[in-house]
Amino acid sequence: MSNKVVISMRDIIKRYYIGKPNELQILNGISFDVTEGEFVSIVGASGSGKSTLMNIIGALDRPTEGTYLLGGVDISTLNDVELSRIRNKEIGFVFQTFNLISRTNALKNIEMPMMYAGIPRKQRMQRAEELLELVDMADRADHQPNELSGGQKQRVAIARAMANHPSILLADEPTGALDTKTGRMIMDLFHKLHREEGTTIVLITHSPELAEETQRIVTISDGSIISDTGVRSYAAD
Amino acid sequence: MQLIENIRLAFTSLFANKMRALLTMLGIIIGISAVIMITTIGTSIQKTLSNTFNSMGNMNIFDIVIQTDEDTPIFEDDLISREMLDELVTTYPDHFDLEMSESFGNATTRNAKGQTITMNVSGAMDITPAFDHRRGRTICYEDNKQMKNAVYVTDLFINQYFINGEDPIGQTINLTFSNGVSADFVIIGYDELPQIYKRQYAPGTKEIDKTTPIVVPLDTMLHLMHQEPENEFYAMVRYNADYDPVMLQEELQEFFDEKYAEKAGISIYIFNEQSYLGMINTVISIVTIAISVIAAISLIVGGVGVMNIMLVSITERTKEIGIRKALGAQNSAIRMQFVVEAILICLIGGIIGIFTGMLGGMLIGYIAKELVTQFYAEYAELISITIQPSVPAILISVFFSILTGVFFGYYPANKAAKMNPIDALRYD
Repeated sequence: MSNKVVISMRDIIKRYYIGKPNELQILNGISFDVTEGEFVSIVGASGSGKSTLMNIIGALDRPTEGTYLLGGVDISTLNDVELSRIRNKEIGFVFQTFNLISRTNALKNIEMPMMYAGIPRKQRMQRAEELLELVDMADRADHQPNELSGGQKQRVAIARAMANHPSILLADEPTGALDTKTGRMIMDLFHKLHREEGTTIVLITHSPELAEETQRIVTISDGSIISDTGVRSYAAD
Repeated sequence: MQLIENIRLAFTSLFANKMRALLTMLGIIIGISAVIMITTIGTSIQKTLSNTFNSMGNMNIFDIVIQTDEDTPIFEDDLISREMLDELVTTYPDHFDLEMSESFGNATTRNAKGQTITMNVSGAMDITPAFDHRRGRTICYEDNKQMKNAVYVTDLFINQYFINGEDPIGQTINLTFSNGVSADFVIIGYDELPQIYKRQYAPGTKEIDKTTPIVVPLDTMLHLMHQEPENEFYAMVRYNADYDPVMLQEELQEFFDEKYAEKAGISIYIFNEQSYLGMINTVISIVTIAISVIAAISLIVGGVGVMNIMLVSITERTKEIGIRKALGAQNSAIRMQFVVEAILICLIGGIIGIFTGMLGGMLIGYIAKELVTQFYAEYAELISITIQPSVPAILISVFFSILTGVFFGYYPANKAAKMNPIDALRYD
């Protein structure tokens, strides 16, 4: 695996209600790097600041202090339009609640990030079909989200996240709303993508068992990293 | 490229909430259809009036009127003389005809059966027939100059006089005038009896007893009656509409200005009778626009309805907006999506409004037409109600529909665009 650094965080601090009496500091100087092709999990109890960290990694939010380089680009200095572009091209979100757009079929959902990237319709459709194949959902292309099971929705969501060949797949409790068996299938899919596609995956979870499956575990508590296993030999399978 | 996507998205969203979309459109439909209905009726009235004017005959007439300063006394010699008018016609033979006629009371004649036929005699310089069923020719300026005993009659007279159906043109008839003078006249042409005369006959009048109008050269008549042409305060000339009326009016003005150059305090005013129609049209246009503007207020009400629904819609779809932003949609893309949706609601509403408005306008027009023919049956042919939708009004309506969409859609769309993606994603 290459050693190219995808995520590079230095002393990231996030404060809310700045300058007000109820000023709140959520992240107290987070520093860590993720290199290309890593499958890393960020673990923490609720309230530990992992959601805030995820928002910053996903370019949904800017840090108050510190530098965050994503593929060498300093995110903290970008404007809204540039952040949109980063989210579109560099980040693939997978959410706990799937977040497919209702009344829009699976294929169209997968096409959406490509539409915002300005990719022509024909190319979009072709890529979307390939992605459905990749997540084993080719026969559900024209199904609406409400016609799909939870596991199927999450697989479509993962295909959508992969649409623009993102630098990182950012998964926030992707099995949280699924039963154990379906959750297992989704985790297997992540492993497959990591192994076969070489995708860099950042998994946010509160479950130590899920984290154990990944190459590296970063544990957060009260806005600080309290442990980082570093890349371990791949334990899965 | 995203415009087509946005239109597709907007359709999907409208179809998902058909009833809501329809009710939202209702405000726009009512606003636009009210404006279209009023302008349709307005243009119909204008068309009807112009039809009525046209059916009254040739209206290409200049009125020539003498005007004096308050203290200037006016004498017989200062008035418009036949010499002046003769000179005008000889100077510009192709431009002007003298529209001059005088009534000479009744005349009588007898047909082959010995039945008496009564006619109403006018002397005229020129006649332009109002109806195109003419046979032969009409009375012209030359007939006057040569004082010909020519007569122009009606089809009714032909039926009364020529019992055997012979060709009337060129036949001679003997006319006895009210002062006892009688003379032979050659029929040079005839026309269909104008509708307006037909209703003058009392019901049950026998064909032979119906009085019809006939026309003879004015100068011939004056000569027969031992009269001289009088100087007038006022004269009318018919102009050839093949030329620019403005140019002709200037020509006429110059001609008379020269004639009156040396008469201090007396001037000539020239008025084109066509401008009566123009004036009436202007008044109707102003009234139509004024009422349309009032009707357009309902468009604002409709627009506020659209804005309200768009605000509800973006609140409902906060999560969707968050997802789209997370997937990389820029603020401008979100804004565009909702503005297009608002425009689409207004545009569809506007188009439906145009059709219902036209339909309503036509319906009112036809009811009005029915009523008019019901009460004034004899005018049925004279008055024709033309239902003509106003094309500019339709174009303006489409434009205003789009404008309403942009204006009332922008605020909600902008609100959606500015949502914080983190909050939007968390929204349930």
